[in-house]
Amino acid sequence: MSGQDRRAGGRRGISGDVWNALALFGLTALLILGSRWISPGFGGWSQAKAILVLSSFVVVVAFGQQLVILTGGLDLSIASVMTMGGVLAFTFIGASSPALLWGVPGVLLLTAAIGALNGIGVVWLRVPPFIMTLAMGIIVYGATLGLTGGTPRGQPSPLLSALFTADLAGVPLVIYLISVLAVLGTLLQRGTGFGRRLYAVGTNPAAAHIAGLPVRRITMMTYVISGASAGLAGVLMVGYAGGATLTMGQSYQLPSIAAVVVGGTSILGGSGLYLGAVGGALLLTTFSTVIASIGIAEGWRTVIYGIVILLALLLLREELYVWVGRLAARPGGIPPRSTPSTAMTGGNK
Amino acid sequence: MKSAWKNWGGCLLAAAAAVGLLAAPAQAQEKKYKIYLSLSYSGNAWQSEAANIVKALAATPPYDKMVELKEVISGTDVQAQISAYESMLSDHAAGIISFPVSPTGLNRTIKRGCEQGTLFFMYDATVTEPCAYNVSYITAGFGENTAQALVNALHGKGNIFLSRGVPGNSVDKRHTDGAMAIFKKYPGIHVVAEYYGMWSDQTTQSETAKALAAHPDVDGIWAQAGEDGAIKAMLATGSQKLVPVTGENSNGFRLALANPDYQKRGLQGVSSGSPPATAGYAFKLMMEMLVKGRKLSTHNIEYPLPWVPADAVKLCPGDRFENGCNTFPAGKVPDSFVTEVFEPTLLPELSLVTALDGKPTPGATIQPLPAALRAAPDTPGINCGKCTPTGDIYKLTKVQPTVQP
Repeated sequence: MSGQDRRAGGRRGISGDVWNALALFGLTALLILGSRWISPGFGGWSQAKAILVLSSFVVVVAFGQQLVILTGGLDLSIASVMTMGGVLAFTFIGASSPALLWGVPGVLLLTAAIGALNGIGVVWLRVPPFIMTLAMGIIVYGATLGLTGGTPRGQPSPLLSALFTADLAGVPLVIYLISVLAVLGTLLQRGTGFGRRLYAVGTNPAAAHIAGLPVRRITMMTYVISGASAGLAGVLMVGYAGGATLTMGQSYQLPSIAAVVVGGTSILGGSGLYLGAVGGALLLTTFSTVIASIGIAEGWRTVIYGIVILLALLLLREELYVWVGRLAARPGGIPPRSTPSTAMTGGNK
Repeated sequence: MKSAWKNWGGCLLAAAAAVGLLAAPAQAQEKKYKIYLSLSYSGNAWQSEAANIVKALAATPPYDKMVELKEVISGTDVQAQISAYESMLSDHAAGIISFPVSPTGLNRTIKRGCEQGTLFFMYDATVTEPCAYNVSYITAGFGENTAQALVNALHGKGNIFLSRGVPGNSVDKRHTDGAMAIFKKYPGIHVVAEYYGMWSDQTTQSETAKALAAHPDVDGIWAQAGEDGAIKAMLATGSQKLVPVTGENSNGFRLALANPDYQKRGLQGVSSGSPPATAGYAFKLMMEMLVKGRKLSTHNIEYPLPWVPADAVKLCPGDRFENGCNTFPAGKVPDSFVTEVFEPTLLPELSLVTALDGKPTPGATIQPLPAALRAAPDTPGINCGKCTPTGDIYKLTKVQPTVQP
């Protein structure tokens, strides 16, 4: 299989990705309606609202995570960056509403700068992405601990809290925010030059380089955006929880990756759509909400959640469609794809 | 409150007598005591407040000239804390004050340290190695007393959530066992959701939000630390209705309990549970053993259980718990701040800066502890290995049933 084939697959996948995302939204809706049988309190608007609000943090971090994954990388620093974003917002913005004007951009710039350091490590120092971002996560966590001495001190921001408590036509404001983000993020991927170059780089960095694309700058940019989106999720978390702790980002590391991959993005890079990641985040949050309400012991609940993620990955990943498609088209056999795969990930480092 | 302090009340006289004892060896003091503070992890308000109290006391005269305190944070992994202990023992520590990760996993190292002459003082969490000293509220009945308070508030019937701590943790198990011992007596009480809030406000908030989505008709929440998240989750549903909540000692929770608007909407409850000030008491006990050669009558010392129902919440105008106040005004400390960082009888040296910054209270000097202390009952798996519990370990001490099963 050549890079040519993969690109062709990617172009055909545009509508496929959209269908995939819509399927996830449909599945989420079905699951919400169906969960009425598990608990009589389920199946209504209040459950849907709770799920949308709870998934908003994953939706935001998944944006940056997906861009990184699209180039064949992985960002394992987002938990710490999210925590740092939250702690900074809590400490420096505080209860002052005017301070949001400079505070939020300030937090985003700083977390973007951390992303830039990740990018420099991956692109120029050629450190494998998972090592670079893991190390950065540890450093950022340590810095946050040092900065706060363990207890972040600050004030909750009433305006940030209003995103979660105030509503417009019965819908909490944060849901409008993530809807806008979902549209803008998808447009960035499919409607701009940056987006198109991103897929080219992810599909085959060597070919993209020969074609004259600024591979390094694009890869770097994805880490910058990932840092900023983790920072934004941290800021939102402060609005939700009315405070910041040093563990606030921890439970979002794996969900950020799971949402992206369940959302149909290839972990090898090159294909996927933000709308799909949004659907993935909603579906996973719905699962965890429904599983939480089943009256079984915590251990078994975690086992079920793990199995659900695994099944979702197996059933929803794009490779499966491609594979099934190929199988149908060429009954003679499945073309080997190990060579280009290693070329893709290896070439990026 | 009164019953909790009955035992301590008589100790004040002895305290006065002990003042002279402390002063004498302090003057002759030349060498410094090498003390290690071993934390499992830092990163939540409780852990850093407890550590700050120890640091502040070690810097309060005359201990500032007598103690060389080193802090080691080894994480939540038992192996890491074992190797931290080992390096402290190689450095010939006079004493190790620690929040232990496991009640049993550290025993062998502790035993070796005791043989070497190192004192081990555990605060809040406990170990079963008999040579170590445990100073904790765990045996004081948080679970059963708060459960009974919730049952009373619900008049003996209703659907409740259990917002637990960290799965597999012995403290979480002791609290939950105590609570279930009460709830099981009342057939009208149904646990409709049970989840782990990891003793964190944020996790508790999102887990409670999930449970509320499934059971909007819940009547009460029994919570361990993280309870402020449970309140925030209820407020976030936009529903006017609030339900009774029992929980631990966050400032946000106490403020919510005392909020007249929330009370009108149905919130009531009690704030109890783990006090960070325990660390300060453990440190002072250890120092009195080292400096004054004090002998303790037991290795398991019970710290009194805080108990603040809604009508007892009283805001502090200043930086200390004075005149019975027990909560700080909104904005002075974060909602997640754990309020129980003071204890007027045992720890008069403390003020807000000690808990927040680990700095000594200006002008304060170390005051001697009362001679009497309260022995904790033997509880298998918590403070002893193979022992039989004495009497009813889930006996109610803070609240009596107002409804019969």
